[in-house]
Amino acid sequence: MTSDNAARPLDGVRVADFSWFGVGPIAARTLADFGADVIRIESEARVDGLRLGQPIKPGKTGYNVCAYFNNFNADKRSFLLNMSAEGSQEVAYRLIERSDVFLSNLTPRIFERWNLTYEQLREVKPDIIAAYMPMQGLSGPHRDFLGFGAVLTPTTGISHLSGDPDRAPVGVGTNYPDYVVNPGHTVIAILAALRHRRKTGQGQRIELAQVESVAATMGPSLLDYTANGVNQVRNGNKSSWMCPHGIYRCADDPSGRERWIAIAVGDDAQWESLRAVAEGAAFTTDDRFATLLGRRRHEDELNSMLSDWTTSFDAAALAIQLQSVGVAAALVQDAEDMCEHDDHLAARGFYEYLDHPETDISLYDGPIVKLHGTPGYLASPAPLFGQHTYEVATEVLGYSADEVAELTSSGVLS
Amino acid sequence: MTQSALDGVRILDLTSEMGWYCGKLLADLGADVIKVEPVGGDPSRGRAPFWQGIPGRETSLRFWYFNANKRSVTLDLGQYDGRWLFGELIRTADIVIESWTAAERAELAEHDVDPDAYMKAQPALIWVSITGFGLDGPRAGWEVTDIVAQAAAGIATLAGYPDGSPMRIAGNQAYAVAGISAAQGALLALLQAEATGSGQRVETSIQEALSICQETAHLQWDFQGASRERVGESHRLPGIGTYETSDGFIFSMVGVPGFGAPWTEVIGWMDENGMAEDLTEPEYANTFANFNMRILLDEEEQAKHAPVLARAQEVLTRFYASKTTMEAYEEGQSRRLLIGQVATPSDIADSEHLTAREWWLELNQPTRLGSEDAALRYPGPPYHLSETPASIRRPAPQIGEHNQEVWVDEVGIPAEDLIAFAGEGAV
Repeated sequence: MTSDNAARPLDGVRVADFSWFGVGPIAARTLADFGADVIRIESEARVDGLRLGQPIKPGKTGYNVCAYFNNFNADKRSFLLNMSAEGSQEVAYRLIERSDVFLSNLTPRIFERWNLTYEQLREVKPDIIAAYMPMQGLSGPHRDFLGFGAVLTPTTGISHLSGDPDRAPVGVGTNYPDYVVNPGHTVIAILAALRHRRKTGQGQRIELAQVESVAATMGPSLLDYTANGVNQVRNGNKSSWMCPHGIYRCADDPSGRERWIAIAVGDDAQWESLRAVAEGAAFTTDDRFATLLGRRRHEDELNSMLSDWTTSFDAAALAIQLQSVGVAAALVQDAEDMCEHDDHLAARGFYEYLDHPETDISLYDGPIVKLHGTPGYLASPAPLFGQHTYEVATEVLGYSADEVAELTSSGVLS
Repeated sequence: MTQSALDGVRILDLTSEMGWYCGKLLADLGADVIKVEPVGGDPSRGRAPFWQGIPGRETSLRFWYFNANKRSVTLDLGQYDGRWLFGELIRTADIVIESWTAAERAELAEHDVDPDAYMKAQPALIWVSITGFGLDGPRAGWEVTDIVAQAAAGIATLAGYPDGSPMRIAGNQAYAVAGISAAQGALLALLQAEATGSGQRVETSIQEALSICQETAHLQWDFQGASRERVGESHRLPGIGTYETSDGFIFSMVGVPGFGAPWTEVIGWMDENGMAEDLTEPEYANTFANFNMRILLDEEEQAKHAPVLARAQEVLTRFYASKTTMEAYEEGQSRRLLIGQVATPSDIADSEHLTAREWWLELNQPTRLGSEDAALRYPGPPYHLSETPASIRRPAPQIGEHNQEVWVDEVGIPAEDLIAFAGEGAV
């Protein structure tokens, strides 16, 4: 374990986090994991939907018991500030003055109404790094379009290109771009801007149009169209060059749970290794599959015969056996596997279990990257709703106890 | 002159496809990224799609996209002279990025290519390792590919059709996530090194980074002891899911309280088009005026309203089918309904919005297929930094294109020595 006062790269960096839901708070959590003091703005007038989401701790109710919120907000301070209340702007600006980074995934309509544009923030704090994460960007005909991960997956080509070619697209089962692609790109931009500020003293505006950030991961498919006029289609779990390549059914576990294995064979040596492990199976002696070209020509049949073979195996054991001879393979893990049975993740200590006042010992994702010298860590679980309002108002913003009482009774700090 | 955020940072990029994106992200922000390739070139240069469909190591669109802005030198780390050259080059570098497999790592260690030794000799050096499963732990030696990582990270099981197999998310997302994780680590370590003079090892486990995309599945297990299953669109309510249009598909997510306009807005939209049928009648209008979280989450509540919901589904399905995808997308969004176009690559290329935002870049890429460069319309960056924008300054390199420039002009190897190294195959 890392000691809770070990140096981290973002020690001394303060983030005024005006974001909510998934994508913004997740970006801020990485900054917090690596030492930043993240002050998360919340309000009774505008409760983060994830505080009201699922899953909640059984038997508990309220704002503090949803793991969806808690996981993405560990290590932050929760500060109540109602931006619709008279006098809130002065408090917000006082926080900006004392911050290095401003972060928001609010729609342009909202942050303009709250007077939190970059031009306004720069007046308050000339070297602020202000990161905005609007769905479609700050300009363009679709500027005010709404959405989040579930809408981005379709609009960036991921849905069209995922799944079976002979069925309608089905999405990816989660709000995928919200969790790493968009928050991660945002963190990269903020870290680059921090370096520039250290060198030059200059702040800047970061605009991450979420649709562009996700489309940037789809470059080869987009170039295939702009360069070649080829409009790609979805192709199931097949690869353009590896064969066999897919996800194959294995034996159900004793409780009837479906078990699957992913297998990717990249060259003839791996093919021979797979054949050796599968000695006796029909596909291993079929001459049509001797070469990559032959396997690709008869791919559907090969996949079907391979499935006939995998179906009697324990998926986890088969993955270990295939990996032992150099074939890329893995059990298709579900949450139970990830949390209970993955001895590798456990040995590496990826998941962190933090004691939270209302949810007790609860699981949190570890940091997204491991730094050996100055590792990230979670110094505290998610804050309770408004837990740090008084502390931030007095210690960070310099208000007196009387002023805090006044701001609270007038509804600003609520 | 435009400034770059990563001015003066030199990076050696020894990665294969799995690690390309990290170097691209840092190169586009201004770092001097030198691709260090084996003699004959990075084996993953041969990945589809290809320029004009012509396969080759200098025609891969995939390679070009992820390696623009980088320079290329070649060397053979299996030879003593190759390793000596590598040592000379590392002395000029701030960051090394590699994505070696465990087998490659072991083989290089036998040749004394040891990250710890380089870091000991050069305390400010940052060494980034991009791996499938991390540098330690029982599966550290495992082979990884995109689909294997998606399986091991707990996300393939959530994607796809409930009556089919788990599904891989398109676009080699495991490698995108690997690059995004590693670039964050590299920059964090750079800030630390520039403040303190101490470099460090940075390690990306793709399994770990990608597992964050499980959303709530692991959290639900922790709280409730139940694994989230692949549901596809099997339990959907009217207004939520993928619908066919007259020329494609849209994804619709309307009626979720707190997300855009309410369901009654959909009825108004259908009514204006003369397609609301009987949904304007009180029986329906009342249900949808009170469409709330309980209907969304509670199966008993859904059962109570089943006939109304089924009827609404029918009418809405007909309505969406009467619209083109763009009509449904733009008209719906103008009413603040959460609707997304299920875009194909051509839809994205033709997007008036992205064109108006000048997202696309122009780039001339040499092809070695004759004298004509490929004039590419190139996907733009993920972000806009107002003072230090990401940019594409040069096309992807040909194999060893910068050997002379880097080895002779910058590292200071005498030209005749370079000729000798080339003769023995070290370069």
